[in-house]
Amino acid sequence: MKILVPVKRVVDYNVRVRVRPDGSGVDLNHVKMSMNPFDEIALEEAVRLREKGIATEIVAVSIGVPQAKDTLRTALAMGADRAILVKSGDDVSQDLEPLSVARILAKVVATEKPELVIAGKQAIDNDMNATGQMLAALLGWGQGTFASAVRIDEGSALVTREIDGGLQTIRLKLPAVVTTDLRLNEPRYVALPAIMKAKKKPLEELALADLGVDTRPHLTVVSATEPRQRQAGVKIQSVDELLSKLKNEAGVI
Amino acid sequence: MFLNETQEEVRNTTRNFVNAVIRPAAEALDREERFPSEIYEEMGKLGLFGIAVPEDLGGPGFDTLTYAVVMEELSRGYASIADQCGLVELISTLLVRHGTPEQQKMLPDVMSMKRKVAYCITEPEAGTDVSGIRTTAVKDGDGWVLNGGKIWIHNAPVADTGFVLARTDKEAGNRGMSIFIVDLHAKGVERGPKEHKMGQRASQVGALGFSEVRLGPNALLGEMNRGFHMMMSVLDKGRVGIAALAVGIGQAGLEAAVDYAGTRKQFGKQISEFQGVQWLLADMAKDIEAARLLVYSAAMKIDRGLDATRSCSMAKCFAGDMAVARTADAVQVFGGSGYIRGFEVERLYRDAKITQIYEGTNQIQRMIIARELLRKGATS
Repeated sequence: MKILVPVKRVVDYNVRVRVRPDGSGVDLNHVKMSMNPFDEIALEEAVRLREKGIATEIVAVSIGVPQAKDTLRTALAMGADRAILVKSGDDVSQDLEPLSVARILAKVVATEKPELVIAGKQAIDNDMNATGQMLAALLGWGQGTFASAVRIDEGSALVTREIDGGLQTIRLKLPAVVTTDLRLNEPRYVALPAIMKAKKKPLEELALADLGVDTRPHLTVVSATEPRQRQAGVKIQSVDELLSKLKNEAGVI
Repeated sequence: MFLNETQEEVRNTTRNFVNAVIRPAAEALDREERFPSEIYEEMGKLGLFGIAVPEDLGGPGFDTLTYAVVMEELSRGYASIADQCGLVELISTLLVRHGTPEQQKMLPDVMSMKRKVAYCITEPEAGTDVSGIRTTAVKDGDGWVLNGGKIWIHNAPVADTGFVLARTDKEAGNRGMSIFIVDLHAKGVERGPKEHKMGQRASQVGALGFSEVRLGPNALLGEMNRGFHMMMSVLDKGRVGIAALAVGIGQAGLEAAVDYAGTRKQFGKQISEFQGVQWLLADMAKDIEAARLLVYSAAMKIDRGLDATRSCSMAKCFAGDMAVARTADAVQVFGGSGYIRGFEVERLYRDAKITQIYEGTNQIQRMIIARELLRKGATS
């Protein structure tokens, strides 16, 4: 079974992001970038399926600036067999919206013909949580989102989903799209020899223009603002005072 | 900016592991003076030991600059753990360069830490001046008999295999020493008690005694009577490693001090708003960066096959002095808290001191720099 894993290059989760002075978005200049953590979980799941003898090939795909090659090299070091970069432009602050990404991925799926796409449920930059769902719709495939467990079983995928109030397990006929939640697995650390080996694995580059995909935006960013500064807490003297504050000030009881 | 894509990737990977596993464990390891087998086992799996061992011998085959990057990152988590990496690097470099195919078969176990090694040079009468060693290996049949004693040996209390420098020709000075691979569980090997040190306390250090220890014909590493030169040949790399380790200690101190200065309030404002504190932070940052660049420069010279001796000594000396001075500044930023056990900067200050002493004291490094200057001229 071939598995396709889309990976996105995003601002590293340790970076304290700053909003651009004109409010048009987050400043991405000279900022450390890494693989979207949910995509690391997706890749780890694919690698585990290969280790169990279920998957035979893992293809990582990224869409974006040429620097996304670094992210793909990480994917190769983590265990992907080969990688595809769809070059969409040179401007790091130009982000493709989920529908465009889903359309591009659908094209890649058409050529690669994977039986399973495992994607992060969302990217930690824009938190859209839409690409996986849109891709499934475009392909006419089943989807199992927010997966906390994935089991492959005779032509279908049993996906346990984290939903409000508990867990739901669904059976999807393959091919299908699965998006990963935080608790699906804990990605392994990359081993140093794997970094060397990754340099020899194939990395194919495609130009977005050659795919014939409509990527005209449907969304406009109106403004980006910093979150409000957190106010300092207060110390209270007694349980009675706490109850009174919860009742009268917070209005929660 | 000096690192290529691969070196960056190695740094990121190591840093992730250090942040998640090593740095949180450092305080307890220091307090308990404990050998962290479980961390070493995991590091072995990640290929963090034997970084320059070529791919055909089972290693990742990285260059010296990559090794320096790994050493800095590991040390930023905990210097004792970085020093273990440095020790394995030296032993595996010796095995790669001078070992027979038979001897090289131990490399996988050395790199996974299944086989713990010790590099046994220092003796009571032979510290910085190695020519004074009294441990002898005398030819006996097809092997040798080893007698003598070593002190302050890293890993001595736990090691399985010693790489022991011994005198094999009493008259020949530096040309009369050889390195032997010694099974430390063999009859006649005695281990002294573990030393209780000021810093890097998870490193197990102690004495080893050898009385009538029989060595087989495969015990000799490399050429007979060339032990001193073999040891010297890995010294440059060793110094780069310790210099990088010192940079890592300084970096950890800077990070802790910047965080603390941004949260600690006095006189109604964060202490980072006081110029006196700002200057401490700025001096720490600039000296750490300068030391790091000296390390990179020395490592790159080794990788390009240039004469690196002066650069390696400069890096080791500057970085060691920097680490001591700038972790003292980190303690200063923390004020009274920085003097209390359990605060990271208190440990860093203690961990830094040995970097001025081991791998050649900083006095020796200055002698080497001066000797090189006077011999080869002042132009760099």
